[in-house]
Amino acid sequence: MGKKVVGELTDTYFNWLESKVKREIEVANRARSNGKDPKPHVEIPLAKDLADRVENLIGVPGVADRIRQLEETMSREEAALAIGKEIAENRITTFDSRVEAVENAIRVSVAMLTEGVVAAPIEGIDRVDIKKNDDGSEYISIYYAGPIRSAGGTAQALSVLVGDYVRRGINIDKYKPRKEEVERYIEEIIIYKNVASLQYMPSEDEMRLIVENCPICIDGEPTEQAEVEGYRELERIPTNRVRGGMALVLAEGLALKAPKVQKHVKKLNIDEWEWLDTLISGTGSGKSDSTSNDSKIKPSEKYLRDLIAGRPVLSYPSRPGGFRLRYGRSRNTSFAAIGINPASMVLMDEFIVTGTQLKTERPGKAAGVAPVDTIEGPTVRLKSGDFLRVDDEKGARAIQSQVDCIVDIGEILINYGDFLENNHPLVPSSFCFEWWVQECREMCPENIISEEELIDPDQSTVLQLSNTHNVPLHPKFTYLWHDIEIEELGILATFISENGRLDAEQQELVLPRNDNSLKIKAILEKLLVLHKVHGSTIVIKEPLPLIYSLGLDDNLKLKWELSILESINETLSVVNLISGMKIFARAPFRIGARMGRPEKSNRRKMSPAPHVLFPIAEFGGNKRDLNAASCFTESMNSKVGEIAVEVGNRVCPACSMETHECRCECGEFTVPRLYCQRCKISVNVDKCPRCGSYATSTDARNIDFKSIYMKAFENLGERNCLDSFKGVKKLMSKHMTPESLEKGILRAKYDLFTFKDGTIRYDMSDIPLTHIRPSEIGVSVEKMQEMGYSEDIHEKPLVNENQVLQLKVQDLVISYDAAEYLLRTTRYIDELLTKHYKCEPYYQANSIEDLVGSMMIGLAPHTSAGVLGRLIGFTKAAVGFAHPYFHAAKRRNCDGDEDCVMLLMDGLLNFSYEYLPNKRGGKMDAPLVLTTRIDPNEVDKEAHNIDVCERYPLEFYRATEKYLNPKDLEEIMDIVSNRLGTTQQYENFMYTHDTSDIAGGPVRSAYKTLGTMIEKINAQLTLADKIRAVDASDVAERVLVSHFLPDMYGNLRAFSRQGTRCVKCGAKFRRPPLTGKCTRCGGKVILTVHEGSVKKYLDISLKVSEKYNVSSYTRQRLELIGLDIKSLFENDQSKQMGLSDFM
Amino acid sequence: MLKNDVVTEFVEAGYQISPDALEMITSHKMPEKLARYVLSVVDESILVIDAEHIDIDGFEKNGRYTRSVNDGDFGVSIASVDSQTPMSRNMKLPLSSESCKNHVDILFDITDRSTCVGEYMEFVQYFRDRYSRLSEIIRSRINARPIESLRRNSSGFGRNERYEEVSIIGMVSDLKTTTNGHRLIELEDPTGSFSALVRVNDKELFEQASRLILDEVIGIGGVLTNDSKLLIANKITFPELPNSVSCRNWTKGKAVFISDIHIGSSTFLEDAWERFIDFLNGKSDNEKLSEMSRDIRYLLVAGDVVDGIGIFPGQENELSIKDVYEQYRVAGKYFSQIPENIQVVISPGNHDAVRQAEPQPKLPERIRSFFPDHITFVGNPALLNLEGVKVLMYHGRSIDDMVAAVPGVSYQNPTTAMVEMMRRRHISPIYGSRVSIAPEKNDHFVIEQVPDIVHCGHVHTVGAERYRNVVLINSGTWQAQTEFQKRVNLIPNPARVPVVDLSDFKTSILKFN
Repeated sequence: MGKKVVGELTDTYFNWLESKVKREIEVANRARSNGKDPKPHVEIPLAKDLADRVENLIGVPGVADRIRQLEETMSREEAALAIGKEIAENRITTFDSRVEAVENAIRVSVAMLTEGVVAAPIEGIDRVDIKKNDDGSEYISIYYAGPIRSAGGTAQALSVLVGDYVRRGINIDKYKPRKEEVERYIEEIIIYKNVASLQYMPSEDEMRLIVENCPICIDGEPTEQAEVEGYRELERIPTNRVRGGMALVLAEGLALKAPKVQKHVKKLNIDEWEWLDTLISGTGSGKSDSTSNDSKIKPSEKYLRDLIAGRPVLSYPSRPGGFRLRYGRSRNTSFAAIGINPASMVLMDEFIVTGTQLKTERPGKAAGVAPVDTIEGPTVRLKSGDFLRVDDEKGARAIQSQVDCIVDIGEILINYGDFLENNHPLVPSSFCFEWWVQECREMCPENIISEEELIDPDQSTVLQLSNTHNVPLHPKFTYLWHDIEIEELGILATFISENGRLDAEQQELVLPRNDNSLKIKAILEKLLVLHKVHGSTIVIKEPLPLIYSLGLDDNLKLKWELSILESINETLSVVNLISGMKIFARAPFRIGARMGRPEKSNRRKMSPAPHVLFPIAEFGGNKRDLNAASCFTESMNSKVGEIAVEVGNRVCPACSMETHECRCECGEFTVPRLYCQRCKISVNVDKCPRCGSYATSTDARNIDFKSIYMKAFENLGERNCLDSFKGVKKLMSKHMTPESLEKGILRAKYDLFTFKDGTIRYDMSDIPLTHIRPSEIGVSVEKMQEMGYSEDIHEKPLVNENQVLQLKVQDLVISYDAAEYLLRTTRYIDELLTKHYKCEPYYQANSIEDLVGSMMIGLAPHTSAGVLGRLIGFTKAAVGFAHPYFHAAKRRNCDGDEDCVMLLMDGLLNFSYEYLPNKRGGKMDAPLVLTTRIDPNEVDKEAHNIDVCERYPLEFYRATEKYLNPKDLEEIMDIVSNRLGTTQQYENFMYTHDTSDIAGGPVRSAYKTLGTMIEKINAQLTLADKIRAVDASDVAERVLVSHFLPDMYGNLRAFSRQGTRCVKCGAKFRRPPLTGKCTRCGGKVILTVHEGSVKKYLDISLKVSEKYNVSSYTRQRLELIGLDIKSLFENDQSKQMGLSDFM
Repeated sequence: MLKNDVVTEFVEAGYQISPDALEMITSHKMPEKLARYVLSVVDESILVIDAEHIDIDGFEKNGRYTRSVNDGDFGVSIASVDSQTPMSRNMKLPLSSESCKNHVDILFDITDRSTCVGEYMEFVQYFRDRYSRLSEIIRSRINARPIESLRRNSSGFGRNERYEEVSIIGMVSDLKTTTNGHRLIELEDPTGSFSALVRVNDKELFEQASRLILDEVIGIGGVLTNDSKLLIANKITFPELPNSVSCRNWTKGKAVFISDIHIGSSTFLEDAWERFIDFLNGKSDNEKLSEMSRDIRYLLVAGDVVDGIGIFPGQENELSIKDVYEQYRVAGKYFSQIPENIQVVISPGNHDAVRQAEPQPKLPERIRSFFPDHITFVGNPALLNLEGVKVLMYHGRSIDDMVAAVPGVSYQNPTTAMVEMMRRRHISPIYGSRVSIAPEKNDHFVIEQVPDIVHCGHVHTVGAERYRNVVLINSGTWQAQTEFQKRVNLIPNPARVPVVDLSDFKTSILKFN
């Protein structure tokens, strides 16, 4: 850390954060020392770097120091392999057994590979075993579990390599699979693909190759209910059920990431991995020919698969009229978030808003959406015939109801970094102003005209530049010549020449509008030539560039022979030839897209949502109502509110009193009272000395809940008048330690819900943000200055609320709804501090403005490391804006994912290990460690590919025309990875396209505002009808095949095989009891699948299939299922009335 | 070498063996070698190895084995299912001896009688009906008490009669293995439920208990524990088929059994199928075959006439005809080539265009119209009377469940599953697994009347077996191995046709590929 990597301002910022964290920890520690929580101190350890996180997460002492040493000379991956080997050889610490050493070695390596953030190394690897081959030699078997998914393909694959690497160190042979075991893998992975999902499905030969050669046995615990049918009861595979972790590691890990594994194999010189060559050459053929050669980039339909009902398709693959690709980055895009014009959002019926996920054709599979109003909006034909482009939200709203057809849905802003990250060849850029102006400067270096004037010039300026300096025609007047046929060019030119009238000022071209010109209007629309319809004429403003492009002169006379058309087959070349101007392809590439998940901004609730983690078994009824439990009486004479629940038993060492609380009334801290369930004796160690089974402190015991309940209210001085106050049925944690009821009372008072770990959370879709204006985040200039924002991006002092500031890396902008929820949380925490812990209040916030500067924890699902953040502002959009580094530190990108925030103080006060469920995945999604300072070197590598320059260079645009690999341009592009290790890694970021409002456009997706699924589908199909780039009948077919038919088939099948349920006690029966009533409580038993759920979509399906003329195969399937339903739900003997209902 | 070992050896090799043949092998001085020799030379089309296949001379000469009767392309290997003269019992004369009308009576099927509308009580009634009919069968053999009465016992004077033997009849609602390895069976009757325990060291009973399946109806006898909360079982009673049938109906001529034609599938074996149609028309190069075809009076089709549409995801890629009505039209054309004097009976299967939930009604009018008029369509299952001979047709969806639930039952020997059906007097006991049911008032799967022949299909393997005087037949398929079967390692036996002589119930299996 010798050289300076943090600038002065940033350094001040980090120190500010750290001192505030320290202060909050002090407050929390003081409060917790009262002993009302499982531990009398804060339970979230701070980690300043990766090494700390790994050590805290896995718990192998001494690892952190060694990692820091290794990292000085090695790359992350090399260091991960090296440390694994050292641990396995007992060189860092000594383990009891070989198995334990190997297991910890693999866990630590995987933790390093995943930046010590995700839960995969603790939850994704169940255990490691050493087993025997048929020849008597030993091999290593790694048992993967479901959460290994969170490690990502590379780390999964490398974990196998780690296994192999360490086994060599301790002389264990490789795995020699039996034939039936190999086949079992294949059968099982195919089943897994069907029941769950795999990103990549290897061929059978590939799987065989991997299993037969992989030196480690990839095993796993069963994760799915599905069982294999062919290769059952194998001796060395203890389960017949499908092992999800195994399937993931083999398919998405080894098979998909073989090249990455091979890179390390070669580097480390490990033998016996030569089979990777076969694997790569066998599958790599598709890859090698996609590298250059333009014709190889074909429209890709992949994103249309699994189309979801109610989520519309916006454009078919690479189809004219779809999103035109514009390269660049705005303040709120990049890192798998793309920009579209807010007018596009409005005109596409508001399905897509800030934060909505878009499934895209390229470069990645999905992206988050952000509004960018400096790119072009949609071009539409109104019912009147007018053809115009709308670039702002207001304009879009004005014409929204008059739109007849969306001929072009506008531009999509995608940054270079996303192409780099996805390793997708660059595709030709649309011809845009940023490009043109650089071409222009190159042709005429003397600055005759300022850049501002050139953005929207008039026709004479443009033509003059083109004629005198041979500058390419300005994009404003460049039409989409590549979208029309050669013949259409001839027809258009001839028509204008014969029928057009040009006014004296040459400002308007008037064409007659009659039956003959219908085709002409269609051609003009394809070209995106804007025009108006006045009575019986079509009027084109500023028509000269069009006239010249068509090779006509000022008198509309054709200057060329139509026979030229026969010799050339590209329209654009003809136009270049006949016009004598340089005319570029306006939009050579379109990006297909459909709506993915809607944006989210909502409180995190478990279902059912409790206010407190206190168990009341069945005594609170289905609502888990604590008040009801406190009033429960078993019989007339029994004590009110005495209930039997399972809780952890604790005992006071001083006065030997048994309790469930963590501190005895006498003031002493209690300890768990362990006993052996089998021998019924109390033991004081983990294992029973008599029978060797694990001792436990949990026990079903009678507690006087009424007095606990009343006392809690009394302690707080609150009145028992809560609308609803809910607990849980049963604690899931190992020691079954309940929370104090007081916490729940205060949460219920402020209508807050707790999560499984005792914290209060709020979920939001992730969207990146690198620059802000104080005005758009609802914060005053003074407050911003207070927060350390002193200069704008041009290094001018901050005085005006419209200046653009660079966002500090750990600052967050959250939705107003989130802010309200957190404001209530601060009130809850303040009351908790004063009334429960008897301390000083901390926040004392009156309005959300007072929250600015509060410390927060950001935490993504499947991870176990929180990231420290600071609240800096608010947005009306339903998203959480944060610096891409912040998202990357949580191991998220912004492709439509969501994660949560909580208040740091909430985590410090209320989080405890003791509450975490004692099951697979229980430690996921909990702040087991907290990263206090973001080091760009230690965040997800994806963030290193973000470009942060002001303008892409001319070379870039020219490179896109050649389909170059984005890697070839890394040197000339200003991307984060070129800035790492310098102060610039935090400072002086820029963007290429501004936007006036980071949260412009509609706020809530129509998907969320529309009520029923049927309304959504109607809206989806209406939009499909409207957009030129969408094939409505194909959408209808896909919705039927992917959604309705499986739903109906599934429900029909489920109906005939259904289980039943007791309405009173909730008992479930595989089959209805013969008595007809609940065998446990005698309650009424009902079906779980009803006729209604089977028939739900039948009517709409039939209507859609007729209206959109879907394939006869699909129509027949619908017909048959209609008959099936009828046969099942209609009594043959009394059905006379409606025979023709379905036909 | 014990008889069991020999049987196992043959079963593992994929053959069945008749008692005579077994006797011949075990009585030989070198039974292991002889058995191996027989296996090495036997014609692979043979399913049941009979005495005639055991060439002791050839074995003793240890010389070259000369292939026995080989019937050319059509490889007609005739395997008689019963080797002892089977019809020694009192047999009734044919009911209608003279007629060449080849009469079929439909004793039962669901067509036009479906009453279900999908309510909870219908499900309850459906299972109550199963219980009452099956328990009636068992009740004739044991003296059982209602479950409710066991409970009452506990509170009152139960202590005195601690060791009293009690029996209950119930439907199995749960099967568990305790931590100590005992088998815990939860039984239910309309009055309540009760658990019975089969101890692991009670070898024979435990073996029986390990073959129990959910939702079958059984009787259990045993002793109550002290607290009257558990029954320690010492006897399990199945409804079973009666040991002997006192009288048996017969008629003359032959019946041919097929199923799973899968017309419209790209793996449909058109050539073999056409050879089969030629055979029915007496057009066969093989004299034996053409002679046989003259005797044929019935052709029974147990479902899956066409491949259907939308039966499994991605089916459209495995279809040669994607229009379901076109599939039936083609099927109809084939069936119209069958001579009119052969009475055809068609029942549907899970690939056919009727409701998936069983019992299934017969094919709808629109589809029937593609077929010649004289064909009889029935539902699935259906009980038929062929001039006195009772045939139970069932497509066989439940065999999937049986294979998964009962040890030893396999797809390779489909009749093993059918034996399990007979023992339970129920063709589809397990609820909630692969078989979809329609909750009708009556449980149509109960085998109340004992049939002479049970005919299933569905699993695409051929088998014929005699169990307690009932001929069990699984009639294979006309479809080559599908993608799905490849994945689950299932090898079908296509184009094999069981033929039963209705006068002596001898069964042969003809081969058409």
